[in-house]
Amino acid sequence: MNPESKQALIDYLITMADDELILGHRNSEWCGHAPILEEDIAFANIALDEIGHAIVWYELAADLQGEEREAYANHMVYFRDVRDYRNTQLVELPKGDWAFTMLRQYLFDQFEMMRLEKLAQSSYAPFAEAATKIRTEEIYHLRHTQAWARRLGLGTEESHRRMQAALNDLWPYALALCEPSNRAELLTQGGYIPDSRALKTAWLEQVTAYLGEVGLAIPTDSSNLPLSRTHHTEHLGQLLSDLQQVARLDPMAKW
Amino acid sequence: MTDTHTRDTQWLRYMVLHQEREDKPHQHAGTVHAPDAEMALLNARDVFVRRPECVSLWVVRADLIFTCTQEELALHPDWIESLQPSGNPVEKYYFFAKLTQKGQFTHIGEVEAQNPTHALKIALQAYPDTHGFAWWVFPVKAVLKSTPDDIAVMFGPAAVKDFRDQANFHALSVLRKLMRKQEVEESHES
Amino acid sequence: MYGATVEPIEDIRTDAEKLAGFEARIARGEKIEPGDWMPDEYRRQLIRMISQHAHSEVVGMLPEGAFITRAPNLRRKLILIAKVQDEAGHGQYLYHAAETLGATREEMLDALLSGKAKYSSIFNYPTLSWADMGAIGWLVDGAAILNQTMLARCSYGPYARAMVRICAEENFHRRQGQDIVITLALGTPEQKAMMQDSINRWWWPTLMMFGPHDTDSSNSAVLIRWGIKTKTNDELRQAFVDQTAPELMALGLTIPDPDLHYDAATEHWHFGEINWDEFWNVVKGNGPCNAERMTARRQAHEDGLWVREAMAAYTEKYQS
Repeated sequence: MNPESKQALIDYLITMADDELILGHRNSEWCGHAPILEEDIAFANIALDEIGHAIVWYELAADLQGEEREAYANHMVYFRDVRDYRNTQLVELPKGDWAFTMLRQYLFDQFEMMRLEKLAQSSYAPFAEAATKIRTEEIYHLRHTQAWARRLGLGTEESHRRMQAALNDLWPYALALCEPSNRAELLTQGGYIPDSRALKTAWLEQVTAYLGEVGLAIPTDSSNLPLSRTHHTEHLGQLLSDLQQVARLDPMAKW
Repeated sequence: MTDTHTRDTQWLRYMVLHQEREDKPHQHAGTVHAPDAEMALLNARDVFVRRPECVSLWVVRADLIFTCTQEELALHPDWIESLQPSGNPVEKYYFFAKLTQKGQFTHIGEVEAQNPTHALKIALQAYPDTHGFAWWVFPVKAVLKSTPDDIAVMFGPAAVKDFRDQANFHALSVLRKLMRKQEVEESHES
Repeated sequence: MYGATVEPIEDIRTDAEKLAGFEARIARGEKIEPGDWMPDEYRRQLIRMISQHAHSEVVGMLPEGAFITRAPNLRRKLILIAKVQDEAGHGQYLYHAAETLGATREEMLDALLSGKAKYSSIFNYPTLSWADMGAIGWLVDGAAILNQTMLARCSYGPYARAMVRICAEENFHRRQGQDIVITLALGTPEQKAMMQDSINRWWWPTLMMFGPHDTDSSNSAVLIRWGIKTKTNDELRQAFVDQTAPELMALGLTIPDPDLHYDAATEHWHFGEINWDEFWNVVKGNGPCNAERMTARRQAHEDGLWVREAMAAYTEKYQS
């Protein structure tokens, strides 16, 4: 792998890791506050999985740089500031109501699922291997979030109204998930990652069909929001000050 | 105060039966609340397979299980004899028994019967060596089961969640060492 | 017996015969199962204890849950989420055990949210620092394990079986707590001070968890006679102090009790008197966080109402 591709791949892994980390963080906020006890447990599992996936991607980035895995992952999470995070705004938005949370998770899971299927064939073997493993967990997430989206989409007038409102709010942010990262072309040409346009088309087709089936309409008049992963909402700063509070009490200490 | 408690629903109760290994029978794990069987199976996975010890899960609505205990039977030894088929069509029932005082309800076998009490009567005759202390019978068709394909997806992930394993906390050996050191020091002092 | 469309078996024994039979079964170490005859008082005490225990697990998610987002490294974050998740699981197992006695989860939650039912007072104390995750794991869960190990042998089958499952998981909780305490106690001076402050705040409330003195515990005698409990509050409290005090001291931590000392004659650690005024005050709802905890639970319950209704409505519409 040439140095330019290597750097591009590291950057790509960081975008994936940051997405999973921040989404996992938001999901973990439900633990103890979910609509029913069974879901406190189920959603904590999803949070654990997402944070676990983030760790896998940070560690692959560590390997590419010859860094120690655990120390690198912790450094990336606890000692970067807002401007250095590369997650999409979709995952940093506050958790909202259960409809918002569940629909965001569905939109993300569906994207993640389709991307992992392709990444399982990445020409970078460690990437392919990790994607294959993570995919197993994503199949379950998707089963869970699809089951929920269907029931809330079709359940009562109120649940339908909340789901549609959540979709309207989330949609422009979700589209940003599919935007190609820096030097994605280079990585696609090298067979490291799937083509982002093809992925976007496939994802759009899938979510439009499924959401339609559960009574939800994709909004057509979405306003343009900044798509770049270098732009963040104020929510991320608040999230990080919470996330990093204890670790930064003494950066050299062992916790 | 709103009237939310009068409107509240915690959904239906489903019994969860799990199988730890292929060569072991299904055993009772507990219950989950769920609006329907599909969600019950998903919830059962999340509630009962947080640690790696499962190859198959069954869920069945708790109110479809016919239960009877040894004490109930002993009160009227002739009751079981008096039970008659009801004339309903024959269907398959699972038979579970609690074989030891401390044990869980365990899958013993299947019987064909016309109703739950009839199924119990047949089961107690069909499995005379596995009577135990209490019994469950429920229709096979009332059960939703995980499939072999689900093993990797539903139960595999727990295996890599090693942070739940108490064996992975090493600080304790530090504590033991400190305590031994202290004992040695104290014995020197005295 | 439930789930059947048959007449229940009529029990023709007199109440005295039934009670004698029941107590003989307890004496033989048999497990009582749903469907078996049991005194109304046995059922009532069990529902009270089990639901209170379930509520404690559910409310107990809140003080530690508040630190999930702040866990200081990724490993600790995964562990803490898994731990709080286990507590939801334990609440779930326990509600199940109470359901086998005829209580519904709707009723039990209503009793909690309306303030009728109690839960363990320990969760009405605030978590103020990361060190509290260590203190809760080691002290609070350590104390709980002593109680739960006893209950795993209790005479009611479904409760005993739920406890066996819970004890296995609870050991992980205690371990991870010890791991945090040891790391901080042997860490930087600031970390050690943080840990000491936490022990100062959690030590006495933990001793209160075992409940009033045996002489002041109105339920103790009947619970022991019917094999629900096999040890008294004071016995369990003493076992906890004997086990925990020397370990904490080995780490250079101080226990906030000037009367604490090892008594060679009794081979037990002697400890000072608990502030029972504080205990009863928190039980009555005037602890530092009683109002906050109930507000958080009510909020989650009310915010979830439309969700639970919608899920049930979908089943009605499409699956029935």
